[in-house]
Amino acid sequence: MSGTALDPSNAAPVRLRLRSVTGIWWRHVLALGRVWKVAVTWFAVEPAFVLLAVALGIGRLVGEVEAYGSYAVFVAPGIVVGTAMFHALFECSWAAFQRIQQSVYETILTAPVTVAEIVLAELCFAVTRAMISTVAVGCFAAAFGWVPWSALPALLLVSVGVGTVFGGIGLLFAALSPTVHALSLVFTLVATPLFFFSGAFFPISVLPDWLEPVAWGAPLTALVHLGRGVALGQLDAGHAWAVVYVVGLSLALYPLAVTLLRRRLLV
Amino acid sequence: MAEIEAFNLVKTFGALRAVDGLSFRVERGETYGLLGPNGAGKTTTMRMLAGLSPITAGTLRLAGIDVAANPRGVREQLGVVTQSDGLDDELTAVQNLEVFGFLVGLSRREAKRRAREVLEFFDLAGRADDEVADLSGGMRRRLAIARSLVTEPRVIVLDEPSTGLDPESRVRVWEELATLKQAGVTLLMSTHYMDEAETLCDRLAIMHSGRILDEGTPPELVARHAGSLAADIRPDAASREAVRAALRAAGQPFREVGALFRVTGRDGGPPRLPALQGVTVTERAANLEDVFLTLAGRGLKEAEA
Repeated sequence: MSGTALDPSNAAPVRLRLRSVTGIWWRHVLALGRVWKVAVTWFAVEPAFVLLAVALGIGRLVGEVEAYGSYAVFVAPGIVVGTAMFHALFECSWAAFQRIQQSVYETILTAPVTVAEIVLAELCFAVTRAMISTVAVGCFAAAFGWVPWSALPALLLVSVGVGTVFGGIGLLFAALSPTVHALSLVFTLVATPLFFFSGAFFPISVLPDWLEPVAWGAPLTALVHLGRGVALGQLDAGHAWAVVYVVGLSLALYPLAVTLLRRRLLV
Repeated sequence: MAEIEAFNLVKTFGALRAVDGLSFRVERGETYGLLGPNGAGKTTTMRMLAGLSPITAGTLRLAGIDVAANPRGVREQLGVVTQSDGLDDELTAVQNLEVFGFLVGLSRREAKRRAREVLEFFDLAGRADDEVADLSGGMRRRLAIARSLVTEPRVIVLDEPSTGLDPESRVRVWEELATLKQAGVTLLMSTHYMDEAETLCDRLAIMHSGRILDEGTPPELVARHAGSLAADIRPDAASREAVRAALRAAGQPFREVGALFRVTGRDGGPPRLPALQGVTVTERAANLEDVFLTLAGRGLKEAEA
């Protein structure tokens, strides 16, 4: 391995190194693999209960939702996307915070890895978790006929957006939180309000007029909108805007996460 | 070319100058120790070398590569054992090594082979698939050292390698570091244990408040600052004050350490002890602890002046 250090291609610290990203991603897969029996409950069992309770229980009371048919058909894509959000957010806030506290990143940085590569790897794994969750919940919903099987690949594509947006938001909280207590704000201030107010459980149009634009601006709304669009096969210009919004937000969050995490890790 | 070169290295945290114009060279195959109390700047110096802490001013090179200009290049040559061990509790012992080996540059297959090999060397093969959390403190430290070795680096940086270990684990770590040294690996280590510095280091820098007070081999430092002989005076409680006054009157440097007065010689000669009553005097060879107490005492006075 001697000699490689003098290679001028290594002289550019800003260049991204694929090995760093795949190595950290592999580390996460190994860690998840070691707890897979418990992980099955996060990915499949818990969301299945939520889906059943909402679609069958509440759905029976609600009856039909205008333009969507049964409430189950309306709510299922929302729960698929919302659950994926929890996974991405949890991975990049809580789990990443633990890695900061337990010097896991510090050790990784003693290898030829940069903070930008750590952020990219975290986002990749957030996407991975969002995808696993989407497959699990999506299949469950499809088995009940609430989402067409043919919509699953498109839902997976939406989950990529869920992973990058909420992975990015999670990393901001991980990088900024001084303590675990502060970190819990990511769930009370971000995850829970978004889960309930982003159009997953009811159309945003039923909100009071002043709250409607706020709800549309929230980061989960565009993704729920996209998820429902691809599940029902009804896409329009609004969905194109949603894609622009998701891509733009992801691109804005990435450098911010790199800067804040660098400030946290390299002192 | 020196393996590690620091020139006028500075690190500030706000108003604090944690490292304040540090210069030193570590030659290939050498074990170089940074010896000093907490807050002397040892850890900060090592963190700068490992690329974990941006350099405020000055230069730092490893194998001729500038740390600020090419941190990635430096880290390809460097193994790091931080004070916290930095082990990954979500992985098994062997996975810790495999993932790290891959991150540095080995293929997955090569990383797996080297991980097993290194665990074997550190007598940890039987614990390969254990949770890291189930290992004892000594095993965790050795696993962290093993991790730094997976990629066969030229230089290994160890931040207080034996802090917090029981005496048996400590000696074990020392033996393993001695083996690395014999294999030609350059070691830069920090410690606040004099016996560790004396046992492991070819040369030492005695640090205080971000500066090097003096540098040399352990015997050189002892000869220069503590002379050949030192004495420990153990007075009874009643005669403490009298002993203090007598030593002061004789102009003899001393330090009170617990129940003892430690007296070092001056100008290479033995300590000149006034006639004392009611005390036990033990003459002994001067050691690094005497050097440290002398130098740190002087450094403190300068800092306060």
